[in-house]
Formats: sequence, structure tokens, C-alpha cells
Amino acid sequence: MAEFVSRREFLNLLAATGGTAAALKAGAALGLLPGGVAAAALDLVNPGTAGRRVAILGSGISGLTAAYELGKAGYDCTVLEASHRAGGRIFTVRHGDLIDEIGNRQYCEFEDEPHMYFNAGAARIPSTHRNLLHYCKELGVELEVFVGENNNAYLQDDSLLDGKPIRSNDYKTNVRGFLAEMLAKSMSSEEIDQPFTETEAEQLLGMLREFGDLSEGDLYRGSLRTGYASGGFLTHGVQKDMLAFRDLLTGRVGRNALAGFEGDYGPMLMQPTGGMDKIIAGYTRVLGNRMNYRAMVTAVQITEDGVDVAYDQDGVRHTLQADYCFNCIPTHLMVGIEHNFPADYVKAMKYVQRGRAYKAAFQARERFWEKDDIYGGISWMNNRSAQIWYPFHGIHKARGVVLGAYDYGGGMNHTEMNQAERIESHLQDGEKIHPNYRNLVEKPITIAWHRMNHMLGCSARWSRNFRTGWTHDEEALYRTLQAPVNGRHYFIGDQISMHSAWQESAIMSAQWALANLDERVRAKSA
Amino acid sequence: MKSCRLLIITLGLLLSGLGIAAESERQAYDDRYCTTCHGTDGKGNEGVQAPRLAGMEQWYLERQLNNFRAGLRGVHPQDIEGIAMRDMATQLSDDSIADIIAWVASWKYVAAEETIEGNANAGRQLYATCATCHGNDGEGNAALGAPALAGQNDWYLVTQLKNFKAGYRGNLPEDGYGQQMRLMAQTLVDEQRILNVVSYINTLTGDR
Repeated sequence: MAEFVSRREFLNLLAATGGTAAALKAGAALGLLPGGVAAAALDLVNPGTAGRRVAILGSGISGLTAAYELGKAGYDCTVLEASHRAGGRIFTVRHGDLIDEIGNRQYCEFEDEPHMYFNAGAARIPSTHRNLLHYCKELGVELEVFVGENNNAYLQDDSLLDGKPIRSNDYKTNVRGFLAEMLAKSMSSEEIDQPFTETEAEQLLGMLREFGDLSEGDLYRGSLRTGYASGGFLTHGVQKDMLAFRDLLTGRVGRNALAGFEGDYGPMLMQPTGGMDKIIAGYTRVLGNRMNYRAMVTAVQITEDGVDVAYDQDGVRHTLQADYCFNCIPTHLMVGIEHNFPADYVKAMKYVQRGRAYKAAFQARERFWEKDDIYGGISWMNNRSAQIWYPFHGIHKARGVVLGAYDYGGGMNHTEMNQAERIESHLQDGEKIHPNYRNLVEKPITIAWHRMNHMLGCSARWSRNFRTGWTHDEEALYRTLQAPVNGRHYFIGDQISMHSAWQESAIMSAQWALANLDERVRAKSA
Repeated sequence: MKSCRLLIITLGLLLSGLGIAAESERQAYDDRYCTTCHGTDGKGNEGVQAPRLAGMEQWYLERQLNNFRAGLRGVHPQDIEGIAMRDMATQLSDDSIADIIAWVASWKYVAAEETIEGNANAGRQLYATCATCHGNDGEGNAALGAPALAGQNDWYLVTQLKNFKAGYRGNLPEDGYGQQMRLMAQTLVDEQRILNVVSYINTLTGDR
């Protein structure tokens, strides 16, 4: 039956359309629409007097973003954080900090200096992560350049060059030279020439000569790009010996020099000056007494017109009645918390697997890497410690904090060792690159995210098969968990994204949920 | 009570070699970590494969914590969750264990939800062997050292039966009860039988 649209309803529709526009704006930022737009500046409508109480569960960056934006719009937010600190996996470790690993509690003994820290979780900000950068700017978080790729850093693999560490520069320059020579040689064959005009073939050849630094006759004979074997300033530079291409084919670690600093990991990267948690401090400064620490959620009950949250703090069980709930508690922990979520939601929660990433760091008695021409960046090793990160903050100071291991999650290798075994493993791995490593480092800290209290996992793993990617079923489960329950409860965090382990994903998941809520609030309140 | 807890905390820190600086400057925790893994009021968490503790007999809880701490459980590389529990338990002092057991006793028993599918009727016959120690209604028998099974997370019982059967648990001579259970688990010759017997246990109420 056709109905007339009243003027009032028409206005509601207009308002709803405005909400849609806002959602679309956020959608662009979420990567659902073509990019090219600046970071979404959410413009949430004031909810009025009713329906403004919000419970934020967890103070990861998604929860803090939600609280921050909702607060600006006039919502009344309460953030409940189970641990003693805000930020979740945005965790900067410095002097005196507690590392609350279940079964391996540690306190950081690094020197109490501003540059003596490491970022145990999120550590890099890519230039294209606009939403994160937007908040850094808005919150006054000072940024500096992050050094990831460093041509002077090392590659070490027991099956490459008899395990002798090789500078990334030597590896890359020689590989490029040999590849360019091979291609240049094949250029003369008619098959290769065929798709190109004579001019194009000439241009391609020119490109290859530059790419590989080829000598006369299009042969690779080594390159000064690797630096000099000796001289080079007051005397003629002596070129380093060329490596044998065959020798560079063995081992897997070299490929990291070719592929490990691309995409999100490629330059230009940034970090906040003084530690990644400066971003968190930016949020909590604004949120003030909205933050509640050591407040462990024990129940989330969705009611007809809101969400009831129970939590334990100081040995007392409290209740919090809210109109809406934004929840960034890891799904695998939420399974064990009382709730009345629908069955399909629970199924999705149980499907997500826990990430296993692991990091370790040492205080270095001296900045030994600088004596080795290394000022920041990452060395790769084909062992369980996998990476060494040299600090570029505090250049030329007496000491620094060096990351001695970053196992991004292939297994539970170090997680299942005790502290002494973990440290010995990193020392053995590290001294393959830096011979005196064992005596140069002290005061170890290990971070096994799979065991950290109130987290029990690193970034969420949705896809069971890394190579083939997401299945349709997995996408459906993901969409189920992204959608609100009864319009009242939203899961957020990098766990509700297709690109977990990035702050940008966590922020965008919060923005998606906020835009979704805002659209309905606008439609209702107009 | 509060000072008692503080004493336990201080003792625990000293014992574990962490009493480095003044504790007041540090954000110390006590050893009551249980609910992070085992869920609200110890009701169990399938998400991290940590079983229900609420309602568990105190004598059984104490024995298992001691077993974990002494390296009689959670040492086999295939016992993934057991290893995590063992690393926790090795940090516990006798006082911490006593405190935890008292804390667990304060949680209300709630039967776990069913998550597995098996043939409970077929499982009934298989359970006859189990009943000798664990009781006809899965209520357990302290005199025989056999814990209650009724109301426990079914996925956990399945995992433990598999672990006993494969020798991931109950494989050490010092763990007499575990060895006994390992022997009994051999009678469940395939996974279907394990699912069947646990499905039958799901029908038991443990006399509650």
C-alpha cells in the first residue's frame, strides 16, 4: 500500500542521507571506496540527552579512538581496561615498566633515559596510514623518521656464504647486477625484442644497465655501489670483489633484503619521538578520568535498549549500564567472559586464531652497531630470533636498546622456552652477526604476546591458509563479527579488519563502527 | 586479609627473584591470574582452551597445580596448553597456591555448555569403566583420587582423553593417578569412542 511521506519523515530521510554520506566518507578511508581522499574526519552528531552512555571495553587504539571521537560528539564514555596500562599491543618498554607475562613477570631495568626504550608491539607508521597520522597530528604527537631498511645492515644464514654475515648492500647490488646482465644478454634474442619497438628495446637496455650497474659489453663486473674495499676519499677507491651469483642463491634470508622492505614496510616510515605509546598518551590526556585501569570485564549482556557490563576492580564487582558498547577485547578472551551474544557471533569469535608474534630486546653497553657503520635499520637472520633492530634514536649516545629478536609469528619457539633459554637463544643467534654480542648486551626483556596477561595473543589470524588467502566462509564470519548486535554492541580493533597487526586497521575498524552508529542516531534523532 | 594478601605478594616476588626495587614503586600484581585464561569466575574458555575451574574439587586443583609445578604435567611438547599452564604454575609459592584454591572455591559451579556431537547411548556402555572411579553420575571420588567429570567442558575432556591416550599426559612414573588414567584411556580405541563417552558425560549431573 502506497503511503504519503510526511514532511517530518522527509526530514528524517534527509538526516539519514546525511548519515549515509558520513558513512561513505568513512568508507573511503576504510578502503571500501577508491582512495585519494584525505583521512576521514568523523563528524558524529550529538546524541542528545538520551542514549549517550557508552562503554568502551579495552583501551587498545581502537577503543581509545572510539572514546575520543564519541567524547568530542557529546557522548558519555567509560573506558574499562583490564591491565595496569593503556594501549594494548601499543607498548613501549622503558625503565621500571612491568612486563606482565603470565608465568614470566619481568621488570625493565634499562637506564632511565628518554632514548632507552623499544616498542614491543606496534613499531612503524607507514606514510599511507592516513588515519593514524591524522590522530597523531590532532593529538600533537611528535613524529620522527623510522629507519627500517639499511644497506649497511646484515643478512646471516648458515647456508649462505658459510654463515658469514653479508651486508644487505653487497647482496642486493650483486643480485641486481647478475639479474640485469642475464636480461641484457637475452635482449639480443628476437623473442624478447619482438614485443618492443627498436626505441623501446634500447630504453629497456638502458634501464637494465642502470638497474644492475653493468659495465661495457653489458657484463656485471662488480659495482662501487657496495662501497669501497679501501680508499675512495683521498685516494682512488678500490672496488670490492664481485661475489659469485651461485653463492647468493642459497639460503632464504637474502630474499628478505629484496622483499622485506616493500609495501607497508617500505620507506618512508615514521615513529613517535620517544616511543609509540606517545600516541596512547595523547588519547589518554584527553580522556582523563574516563579511563579505568585494572577493571576486568566479567560480563556483557545486551538488553533491548542497551548493554549491561559487569567488571571487577579492587576486588569488587561493579556494573555499568550503557546505551552502546564498543568492544576491543580480543575475541578469544571474550569467549570466556559471560555474554549473551547470538550463536553466529560466537561461532565467528571462536574461529579467529591468536597471533604468536614475539620480540626481545637488550640494553647495549655501547652502541656497537655505530662502530660498524650501522645507524638504525634491521638485520635479518635465518634463525628463530629472525631480526635485529638497531636503534636510530639516541645516535652517538653512550648506550641504546637493541631489539634482539622479532619472530613475527611462525611458531611458539621462544614463547615455550623459559626466560633463561630465550635469552641464550638470542645471544647465540646474535653473535653470528656480531661476534662479541654476548658481552655487549645486558638487561634482557622478552615479550611473548601469546602469554601476555589480558591479551594472550598477538594480532588476530582469520585466514587459515596464508597462501590462498581468505575463503568465502571466513569473509562471512568476519562480516558477522563486524556487524553490530542489536545495534548496541560493536566489536572493534585490528581483529575486525582484513589487515590485522596495524594501528591503521584498528582505527579504521573503530571509524567504521562509529559511522554505522552515527547513521542510525541521525536517522532516529532528526 | 588485605595484609595477608600483601604478604603473599611480597613473598612471591622475593621467591621469584624479582624483589629488586621497592615494590611500592612498581605496579605489582598478585598471582591471581586465573581468570585471564579460565574465563569469568573460572567458567572455562574454549577460545584459549582453558577448562572450567569453578566447582572443581579443592584437593584435585591442589594436586594438579602441584603436578604442574613439579613438572609431572605440562612437560610433553605436544601438550600445548599444559605447557602454558606449567610455566604459570612454576611461579607459584605454596601460599599462592593456597590463596588460589580459596579463590576458586568462591566461584559458583555452573555446568559448561555442550559443544561436541557424539552418540551418548553408545557412550553409556563405555562409561561403565569410568564410573568405577569417577562415579555413576560423574560426581567424582575423593578417596580414589578421581575428580568429578560432570559439567566439565566437553572439549577439554576430549583433549585430555586424547592426551592421556597418546602419552602427552600421565606418562611419568611419579604421576601415579595420571598413569592409571593413561592406561584406562587406551580402552577408547578411536576418536569416535572418545566423543561418545564424553557425550554421555554431558548427560550426567554429578549429583548436583
